[in-house]
Amino acid sequence: MNGDLRDHEAGIQRELKRIGTRTSFVEALAQRTRGSTVAVDSKSRNAVGAPRMEGVAFRAWAGTHWVESATVGIRDPGLEIAAEELLDRLGKTGSAGDPPGASASSTITFDSAPARPMRDLGNEGALAWAQEVYGWLASEPSIKFGIANLQWTEEERYYLNSAGANCFERLNRAFSAIVAVAVENGRSESYAESEGRLGGQEVLGAITQEKARTVCSIARSLLRTKAPPVGRMNVVLDPGTTGTFVHESFGHGTEADQFLRNRSYLQPLLGTVVGPESLTLVDDGSIPGGWGSLGFDDEGNPTRRTPLVKDGRFVGALHDRTTAAALGATATGNTRRSDFLSQAYVRMTNTLIEPRDWTFEELVEEARDGVVLERWLSGMEDPLGGRMQLKVRTGHLIENGKVTERLSSMVLSGSVLEFLRDIRGIGLEKDMQLSAGSCGKGHGDLLPVGDGGTYLLSRAVVGPS
Amino acid sequence: MIHAPLFASAVAEKVGPLDVPWEVYAERARRFEIQLSGSRVEMTRGPLRLEGYGIRVLTEVDDQTGVGFQASTDVSERGIRAAAEDARSVAKFNRFPAHRPELPPGNGGPEHSPRIVDSALWSHPAESLAQEADALLGACDALRHPAPTFATIKATLVETSIANSRGLAASYAHTAVEREIAVKADGGPEGRPAGEFWVEETGRRIRLEGLTEKVASWYRFAEDARRGSSPSAGESTVVLPPEVLSGILPYVLSFQFGGSAQLRGMGVARDTVVGTPQLEITDNGLLDWAVGSSPFDDEGTPQRVRRLISEGKAGETLTDVLHANALKNPVTGNASRTTGFSLGGDYWRKFVRRPAPDASTIVVASGSGGNDAEVIEQVDDGLWVQQLGWANPDMVAGTFGGEIRIGYRIRRGKIAEPVRGGTVGGAVLTRDGRPSMLNGIQAMGSVARYAGDLLSPTLVVRNLVISGERSGTGASPT
Repeated sequence: MNGDLRDHEAGIQRELKRIGTRTSFVEALAQRTRGSTVAVDSKSRNAVGAPRMEGVAFRAWAGTHWVESATVGIRDPGLEIAAEELLDRLGKTGSAGDPPGASASSTITFDSAPARPMRDLGNEGALAWAQEVYGWLASEPSIKFGIANLQWTEEERYYLNSAGANCFERLNRAFSAIVAVAVENGRSESYAESEGRLGGQEVLGAITQEKARTVCSIARSLLRTKAPPVGRMNVVLDPGTTGTFVHESFGHGTEADQFLRNRSYLQPLLGTVVGPESLTLVDDGSIPGGWGSLGFDDEGNPTRRTPLVKDGRFVGALHDRTTAAALGATATGNTRRSDFLSQAYVRMTNTLIEPRDWTFEELVEEARDGVVLERWLSGMEDPLGGRMQLKVRTGHLIENGKVTERLSSMVLSGSVLEFLRDIRGIGLEKDMQLSAGSCGKGHGDLLPVGDGGTYLLSRAVVGPS
Repeated sequence: MIHAPLFASAVAEKVGPLDVPWEVYAERARRFEIQLSGSRVEMTRGPLRLEGYGIRVLTEVDDQTGVGFQASTDVSERGIRAAAEDARSVAKFNRFPAHRPELPPGNGGPEHSPRIVDSALWSHPAESLAQEADALLGACDALRHPAPTFATIKATLVETSIANSRGLAASYAHTAVEREIAVKADGGPEGRPAGEFWVEETGRRIRLEGLTEKVASWYRFAEDARRGSSPSAGESTVVLPPEVLSGILPYVLSFQFGGSAQLRGMGVARDTVVGTPQLEITDNGLLDWAVGSSPFDDEGTPQRVRRLISEGKAGETLTDVLHANALKNPVTGNASRTTGFSLGGDYWRKFVRRPAPDASTIVVASGSGGNDAEVIEQVDDGLWVQQLGWANPDMVAGTFGGEIRIGYRIRRGKIAEPVRGGTVGGAVLTRDGRPSMLNGIQAMGSVARYAGDLLSPTLVVRNLVISGERSGTGASPT
């Protein structure tokens, strides 16, 4: 007995075998999550255990399409019922033919095993940390509301299929955040900082008193900032915003399920130059500590580094078994389910730009006039239209090659290809950040992704938000 | 009405006696999905079976309340007891400024139960989904349009139950249908890039009728997206239909009028002037077929109508039991276990979250501006926004801003050329008289329609900020 999901192997294998009598291929993903969240704010103190969720999804090939069922629990009778319901979907005669693409048959074990797991803190320790951090926020003037937040999850995933794959992973994710809200004369403005990684208590060190002070100071200054200039202009993106651009604006267009649906503006550009020679973009689910890192994907393929743009040329897309088979590629380890109740799609893991050799000051000088965009909040993909939308919390004006006034929140838009074409400089490795983000595909199915970037100079349309 | 079995009571029985106020919120749910790629079925999913519960205990600590909570899908007696024990054990660390709050009593049933169950869907979910998918493809075919490049329809069937230490044992059933559809326009002599219109809709029922008109408009928007050009920058009169407002108003109003923001000094104070004198906005949890409706809220208080803005002035604060107690306000039945941002999880899995104040369906009272065409006739020069990429509502600052995916220039009261790209944004609600969407309403349509968590007419708003590729003054010619 391992004391984890692998203890249920016999039951899952039994049902795979039973379903396998009516299909050429069936797979199961079992998942279990544990964890905790603590938060301290101006009015309350809360520790709460993460939902104790566990369950199994079955997916089988029905001859022309996939069918799925899922249930909570990894024991009978739920397991047996879910298998029975999938058999119903397959029909009495079962399915003919093999599913598209290669079936994984690998055995993989991956444990993110942090040196100092968050669970060792206990609720008392976590609350003590949050109380201390909240104290830093509360001591700052004009801060009406502050919150210190700490979250961790321990997730187990166990993938088995009828081709012999047997993959188990344990993923420890830890996240810390502070938010400050300044209120004055009927106006409210907020600012936040956070850190998330596959790891443990090291995230606590990311929130310092100095950082808390900065967060409060920016929240206060946002009460008096002016709106950004509007129109098309030079823009310098901070590292987090660059990472969000890489993920939302470019990355979603490389998910090859959109190719099969003729929904990607990038598909006809595969093999062509889309940006300057200095531009290299990758997706890499194997980065140690990356918020979007995994041992294997939900088709049993190991995660890996996949070049998307190399030296300015669009060279690769992200594939599951189906898209790989249809487009003559290989699966890239990017099939992900948000959880056992959610669908397996082609998804990104950690998506990043490779650093180059421009300092921030050089980029600002090169821009001459424009804006710096700082502290990304959200992005929205447009896989067919190839347009982008990024929102940032704040920024600064660039005048005569110098950073001047602080600006209020902004939204960036424009054509992704024009933005890539107009890139005039990419920042240094020392400025690289891998931010913790949450990615949805369509309406929902959120999962953790890493967005990596450094400073970047290009042109786009800026408006208030 | 389909009566859900009292799963919550069964869980409560297994917990055994507790010496503090407690509550069990439980869900049994099935989800079915059908996914199309073109006219081909790409995948069918379901049943996806989920049952789970959240146990909440309220302990008295230092004149405050220690709230303990634990959610679980483990329905074994051992699992339930472990969850209850965890809720108890964290409660001792926690503090909330409520003094002896009282959970809803067992004798106060709802006065009215809104219709929220599609009976045919409940009885035959997979078949009903297949019927709607066929109807969608049939409508495309009838109009000689290609099938959608992508479509997914999800049906969720949920039995919700609540039991608590004051004898409440209540339940209801509900259905929800979510649709995501992408239609594409390409080809033709123009040589322009393809255009897409992305449809996101939620409702309570399978839809088999009225699809032809909808599909025709989707393809028209996709075609127009190919021809649209960026607006010029500046301030402009902007016409916002409910489909766009639904990405803005529910988020900002729910937060600004919510007990959580009020308690922390971030909400709008009662009687503050926030809108034009004719503006009336309520929150209504009892509307038939609205996705935000239910007979009672997520801790068992019967739903009702709350007056948020009356004659342009701020009214009620939305509360659950804890916030009502802390604010010394009445309980308004706004306990909600949703995420605040509806990202696909709000129709099930609610048991995983503790309740907090949130709106049900935001209702903007209709004006006298007529139907959409008549509303447009009142605008000499402006912009109709059909769809934003994402409105990016900032609930704290009360602002929004997003990219225009498809819109139309309005010239002399008529829809003119399509607009695509650029951004529109500004303040939604201000408390100090600065210009905002709510105090800048120039006209309101007389026909309200549902869009997500909103029931509203089309609004004409003065002086929102437009940004685009060209410099200029908003929608005015350059």
